[in-house]
Amino acid sequence: MERVLLGNEAMAWGILEGGATVVTSYPGTPASEILEMVQRIREEQRLKVHVEWSVNEKVAFEVALTNSYLGRRSAVAMKQVGLNVALDPLMSAAYTGVKGGFVLISADDPGPYSSQTEQDSRYLASFAKIPVFDPCCPQEAKEMVKRAFELSERYKLPVMVRPTSWICHARQGVSLGKIEPVDRFPSFEKAPERWAATPRFRYLLHRELNDKIRDIASRNAPEPVFLPERADLAVIASGVPYAHAHDVIRAMGLEGRIALYKVDLPYPLDHRIDEIVRKYPQTLILEETYPLMELQVGYREGLRGKLDLTVPSEGELTPDAVAQILSGLLGEDVTERKALPAAGKRPSLCPGCPHRATFWAIRKAVPQGIYPSDIGCYTLGLNLKAVDTCLCMGASISQATGLYHSFRSAGKSPPSIVATIGDSTFFHSGVPALINAVHQGASFVLVILDNGTVAMTGGQPTPATDGPGKRVRIEDLVSACGVDFMRVVDPYEVPELIRTVREADRYAREGRGVAVVISRAPCLIYGKREREQGEIIIADDCTLCGLCTEKFECPALVKGPEGRPLIDRALCANCGLCLHVCPRGAIRRVEV
Amino acid sequence: MRLQILLAGRGGEGIIFMTRILTEGLFRCGHPVISTETHGMAMRGGSVISQVKVGGYLSPMIRLGEADLLLATSPEEADRNLPYLRRGGVLIVNAPLPGPTYIDATGISHRLGNPRGSNLVLLGYALSQFNPLLSLTPFQDVVAELSTPRYRLGNLRCLEEGWKLGKEQRGRENL
Repeated sequence: MERVLLGNEAMAWGILEGGATVVTSYPGTPASEILEMVQRIREEQRLKVHVEWSVNEKVAFEVALTNSYLGRRSAVAMKQVGLNVALDPLMSAAYTGVKGGFVLISADDPGPYSSQTEQDSRYLASFAKIPVFDPCCPQEAKEMVKRAFELSERYKLPVMVRPTSWICHARQGVSLGKIEPVDRFPSFEKAPERWAATPRFRYLLHRELNDKIRDIASRNAPEPVFLPERADLAVIASGVPYAHAHDVIRAMGLEGRIALYKVDLPYPLDHRIDEIVRKYPQTLILEETYPLMELQVGYREGLRGKLDLTVPSEGELTPDAVAQILSGLLGEDVTERKALPAAGKRPSLCPGCPHRATFWAIRKAVPQGIYPSDIGCYTLGLNLKAVDTCLCMGASISQATGLYHSFRSAGKSPPSIVATIGDSTFFHSGVPALINAVHQGASFVLVILDNGTVAMTGGQPTPATDGPGKRVRIEDLVSACGVDFMRVVDPYEVPELIRTVREADRYAREGRGVAVVISRAPCLIYGKREREQGEIIIADDCTLCGLCTEKFECPALVKGPEGRPLIDRALCANCGLCLHVCPRGAIRRVEV
Repeated sequence: MRLQILLAGRGGEGIIFMTRILTEGLFRCGHPVISTETHGMAMRGGSVISQVKVGGYLSPMIRLGEADLLLATSPEEADRNLPYLRRGGVLIVNAPLPGPTYIDATGISHRLGNPRGSNLVLLGYALSQFNPLLSLTPFQDVVAELSTPRYRLGNLRCLEEGWKLGKEQRGRENL
């Protein structure tokens, strides 16, 4: 049977056809749809599989890994920066190894389209000394997940599959197999020298790991795809760059001049790659996003790639770039430069989004503040000038602490600091940062933007939503962290929110500690909110000051002729937040 | 058949939905097809593109100057992405302007009582350009399957109206 599937969905099938019984993840673009599909298939086929959206990637990794300690197959999926969070268990799991197959999917985002970095997860595979598969299309991604289970079980080692955005979010006809019922039962064999190894045993485990990796490196020679009699150039490629190279070489009719080799496992790289490089006057390595294969080549005469600047070291590798590089290496004219599309419209918070109200209120209440923020839809608070920093998950709270102590240690009184963090990000890694802030005596305002879901990635659940166990309340966590000032406000009650943020700011500026405001309203896309009655109009007393269209930046408020604000009825959520924005009260709600 | 289609619009305008219908419909017609879609941060009202390639491609990305068809939800997004269109390629844009390039998909979908279905008017209009190479039936099936019950009929009406207008337009051109 063949079905059109998203790469992420194809990998979900690969996970279940491969016999996984525990599958975990934390949402993050471009990896989020993997677990969603696993969940859907589990329900449709009533599979006995534990599936969970874990609180963060480290926890997701550890839960799934342990099932593989018990001899069963497991998978964990995340985006590349999530793997930074899970790096600690990954490094150690490479030493302990596994009994049942364990597959780690870490999705990279060259470009980047939706991430803080363009980091190459394959580097973390090589850092941990585990093999990594680099698929070139959705169908292959699915097959590689299954191969990864086999390899993992043969060598008793975690194995990574590293897709990129254009695998995860590409759609293709994918052939599906049968998901067989799993008859393996969990059995925990006590082996402290492995599962709880002390440093003395760690040395032995490290040696074992090195032996495994050396062995794998001798069994996966690059596969020739185009092999002309006499080639001027060889291309060795993996992942999506392989797909580009394949299509470009064919489209340019260069199959007779360029030898093309495909690599499935860029780490550990098979040493026979040296023989290929030796054979040709020039060999080009194409890979995303860092030079991983390139660094592993022993024979380097005529080697071209990122290190000698033949291939760009940042941004995604497009087929246009590949064509230009190939022409250049073949000595052809490459002066023709095609115009790139101009920058488009930037993204913004949805019309009616509760976050816009919160940011507006923060700017009103504390106009001179410093605003550390975090990862999520609400990073778009940038557009309202209410986001000054965005480092990584949970950093808003630690950076607010850093700001506070930076001023304090200089003997200065700290300015108003208003940090913002989403509900899921708070659970993910905000909690330890808040404990630290309280214990270290920092004093600032923390606004938790609680829309009850992981909105940016498609509305996945948080620990506060219904689940198999108890719901965990944000209020309980905040007070358990030692916070004495806590208020819960509905952001659509703008004047009250402004008053509350002011009160919190006074409290923090008196040095009394962290003041937490939970701004709570469901996401307009994934939650439910009753539509307000009446219609919003812009009355004639509008002075065309432009405040509402420029500073509030609601997509439904657009600048018309002569700068006159117009309401785009197709977009307007009728939320009425803009009523609070106009200083003259020219935006009104009227009965219809 | 080899065909490269670029869809351009803004997050929330239904670009992903159009891409899914195109990919699934072309697949059911027996064509090897690969496509892309943008998710995450870029989808919040920002400019997005998606790409659909038919005919045994491995790479899902379209090179500049190689799209056979550029489908845009507004003149701004069409202008921006023109470098992707090949010489002689077909451009179809949602706008209330005269000429075969333009179709007032927004106006038509409002008239049909399904304002969110303008993307399907646009898609139906574009598909008709490939008649008789492509027939409407598999795409109707896909729209019916992928639409939520509430929007199913409205969506089908939009797709069919776009197809009909496109065919009439081509009929006039051939006179």
